[in-house]
Amino acid sequence: MDCSETRRRIEADIDGELDLVRHLELAAHRQECPECARLDETLRARRAALREALPRFSAPSQLRGKVLAALRAEGMGGAAPAAPMRPAWVIWPNWNLVGVAASIAMALFVGYSWGQARARGNLLLDEAISDHIRSLQFNHLSDVVSADQHTVKPWFAGKLDFAPPVVDLASSGFPLAGGRLEHLAGRPAAALVFRRRQHAINLFIWPAGADPVSDRQAELNGYHARSWCHGGFNFLAVSEISAAELGQFAEIFQAAN
Amino acid sequence: MEASVPSAPPTFEQHLLPHMDAAYNLARWLLRDPHDAEDAVQEACLRAFRAIGRFRGSDGRPWLLAIVRNVCYSQLRRNRSEPEPFDDEAHGSTHDPAEANAVAWREVKGELLRQGLERLPAEFREAIVLREIEGLSYREVAEISEIPVGTVMSRLARARRRLQAELLALAGKESPHGL
Repeated sequence: MDCSETRRRIEADIDGELDLVRHLELAAHRQECPECARLDETLRARRAALREALPRFSAPSQLRGKVLAALRAEGMGGAAPAAPMRPAWVIWPNWNLVGVAASIAMALFVGYSWGQARARGNLLLDEAISDHIRSLQFNHLSDVVSADQHTVKPWFAGKLDFAPPVVDLASSGFPLAGGRLEHLAGRPAAALVFRRRQHAINLFIWPAGADPVSDRQAELNGYHARSWCHGGFNFLAVSEISAAELGQFAEIFQAAN
Repeated sequence: MEASVPSAPPTFEQHLLPHMDAAYNLARWLLRDPHDAEDAVQEACLRAFRAIGRFRGSDGRPWLLAIVRNVCYSQLRRNRSEPEPFDDEAHGSTHDPAEANAVAWREVKGELLRQGLERLPAEFREAIVLREIEGLSYREVAEISEIPVGTVMSRLARARRRLQAELLALAGKESPHGL
């Protein structure tokens, strides 16, 4: 390879765009030709200077919001915009109260208690479903993207004051896709993301403490939710898949733990 | 994204929204104005959203950047009288000026480099931004700029030399400089 050929290719080489054979030819030529070696050094220094000094402008924080608002006006998602943040005092209702209330229907206060429990239940459900929708809309389904439970579980360590149970259910048709942090029922919660065909299932997990949830299922605006308490944790699964499939998911998850 | 399922149709949120910074960076360098850049990115996102059905492949970045580029040039064309298409040869040679050396490049000030880049024709700025800041391959640059890979190579060479010339001119005004 001669000098003019080298000069033609030297930038492509520095850009990493030459195949291995030509790259080695060039390296061999530089060994013999101090002038081309000097040029190579200069151009590498130029490249380093450009990469170091040229700033990459970040999109202003409001731009993302403006774009999403404009796209929603165009009909993006088809889902309702994410609900505003819920106040921190929202607590999980004792849904069993509904059943208890029915059995002692003659008591005068029943209607009141039932109404209260329902209202609080809907708040948590609203909140979880809003989280679910927001996670789909803002491309924020997962902070850690992995189908490996041994990657996802340690990711939560240090981010939460509890270690949520993480299992991959791919063999049962619900592959683990990742996880992220959420704020639910007034406290930090783990959200595990599972896949079912093209749908996502968000499974929220937080310590049950003094407010264990009951085994319940619910439906709101086409979304299904399923709750259960196990091993000191509350679980709430939300998805747009059918109630039957979500129930199947809940059973498989519990069996796997 | 590994999380997406191949059979699912592409969505703006999954494939394009993550590249908002890249989109803004290109628009900002091409238009040289933060407000114009924001407007261009918004317009480009709308176009991308409407055309998402035509998006193929897994990486949304080159696809979105190609749209951003078109929006920016529409705006630039309104303000300039240069002939189309861009004539690479009229704007720079691929010969090496002898003056520069590695030491000079190591000492050149970042601010000077930024000023120098702003003074280049848009097509040259674009090539340098896509290659040096975004780190895209020749093939990806070719896709975005709608030129053959060979032209990417020579355009980059001209753009870098022209930048060098601009730095010389700028440095001459300030202090004695190796470039």
